[in-house]
Amino acid sequence: MSIKILHKGLSDSIQDHGRYGYQHLGIQTNGCIDLLSASLANYILQNDTNAPVIELHFPSSEITFLDEHIICISGANFVPVLNEKSVSLNKPIAVCKNDVLTMLQPLEGTIAYVAIKGNYNEPSWLHSYSYYNKRLDKGDIIHFSAQHLAKNKLIKNYNEDEYNPIVEKIQSHLFSNINPIKILPGPAWQDLQSDSLNDLLNTPFTISTQRNRMGYALTGAKLNLTIPNAYLSSAVTRGTLQLLPNGNIIVLMADHQTIGGYANLGQIILVDLPRFAQMKSGQTLKFTTTNLEEAQTLYQKMYAPFKY
Amino acid sequence: MKCIQNEWSCYSLGDHAIVFALEAKIEVSILEKLKRLNTFIVNKKIIGILDVIPSYHTLTIVYDISLFLSTSNKKSNQLAFFCEDLLNEFENNFLKSEFNEETIYHVPVCYENIFALDIENLSLENQISYEEIIHLHTSKKYEVYSIGFLPGFTYMGTVDEKIKISRLEKPRNEVPAGSVGIAGLQTGIYPTNSPGGWQIIGRTPWKIFDPNPDKLAKFKVGDKVKFYSISKMEFDELNEYK
Repeated sequence: MSIKILHKGLSDSIQDHGRYGYQHLGIQTNGCIDLLSASLANYILQNDTNAPVIELHFPSSEITFLDEHIICISGANFVPVLNEKSVSLNKPIAVCKNDVLTMLQPLEGTIAYVAIKGNYNEPSWLHSYSYYNKRLDKGDIIHFSAQHLAKNKLIKNYNEDEYNPIVEKIQSHLFSNINPIKILPGPAWQDLQSDSLNDLLNTPFTISTQRNRMGYALTGAKLNLTIPNAYLSSAVTRGTLQLLPNGNIIVLMADHQTIGGYANLGQIILVDLPRFAQMKSGQTLKFTTTNLEEAQTLYQKMYAPFKY
Repeated sequence: MKCIQNEWSCYSLGDHAIVFALEAKIEVSILEKLKRLNTFIVNKKIIGILDVIPSYHTLTIVYDISLFLSTSNKKSNQLAFFCEDLLNEFENNFLKSEFNEETIYHVPVCYENIFALDIENLSLENQISYEEIIHLHTSKKYEVYSIGFLPGFTYMGTVDEKIKISRLEKPRNEVPAGSVGIAGLQTGIYPTNSPGGWQIIGRTPWKIFDPNPDKLAKFKVGDKVKFYSISKMEFDELNEYK
């Protein structure tokens, strides 16, 4: 009734939509970096879209199943194979006892999710199953409820025509959308020197190799402020563009600290954050501004299938 | 989205948070107002609000876009009205609202050399005796202005100018849990062993963060803290990390 980690990945963990309600005590939210792909995997399995999933980075953990399960892999294409046979993304897959799931190469994207049909049977902390300060390790056994494959109708009844439009819409947003990343200006926007503001909106930035679940560092034009870069610490959110004293931007991700004292230039809008998160190191991007109404409308449209 | 209402300025932070800000100052009167707005908003139990986070001069609410907008017919372009209404209601009730009872914590700190990793630094740099440092640090009542950096890390202020000191140029790889430090005019307590650059002048035997859901952080923003000096022997008796 569980899965076992055969080989440890780079930085893999169990995540859900995050731990909210405790940030005033300094407790980070954590949660999936790419909530869109994680929600999609759960949606395809008819799970609660907030159900805990396995978040995989590359090189990924190798996983074996200790019982019969139905799983769905979404997000990055790491070329998944089940017992060395290729398996599809964004479809329910039946796995048998002792099957081994391996990710071969990071073909597209940077974060993959494995959702498992049924209940997750591990303890929560503060109403969330998201790992904090912990990664999946070799030998770990994680308990999910097993499925009786012979009796389960999910795969037999899976209607591709119903799910395909949603899958395609999300996949193309995440991996084929070459539009600039949309941001909303933040409190320190007005403190940027005018040529820096121009650079922020008109020159490309590159995702550096300095990236983890806390934040992605960007390289590009060095930005300068008209005042010293020392603010009274204030709450920050995922997607915040924080300007470091060296003039570079770091974009805060799911494991970000609750407050920050560096210049808060703005936020990547929630609908674009998974797209940004899936970009590889070395990839370049541009920023453009939008408005609150558009940001919230785009978000609600994208997540509409998942709202109950 | 931006709106100004009396001394408050209010703005969206990205697409799922709103900030209520007062003048950017470390000041008790500002903290007091934030604390009241905090209580007011939390007690309203507004659907879709996930977090209410006070820090120095700002109060930030983080919300779930769909849930928050689905109630009371809020629309993206009407959030300024929502904030204005909220602040109006708050200010109309401000004088009537119950004054939260002040919570003062008397926190034991052992300032002996074994724990006071940087007291020598501070003494040399500021030309001040150990006794005077301890006296000044324990004679003031501090406000908790912010919690963050780590779960339960407590930012307090402000210390006497005579014991003001900048952060270490090279942060330590590991500062022990309970360490009490100074950075600029602020004093703080490390909740867990962690890297850090504050200049450490003592250690409290109290566990200020416990992952047990019934305990969590010992302090919250707006609490008052007064330190008192204890010996190593008393530290050992009170040690909650044993």
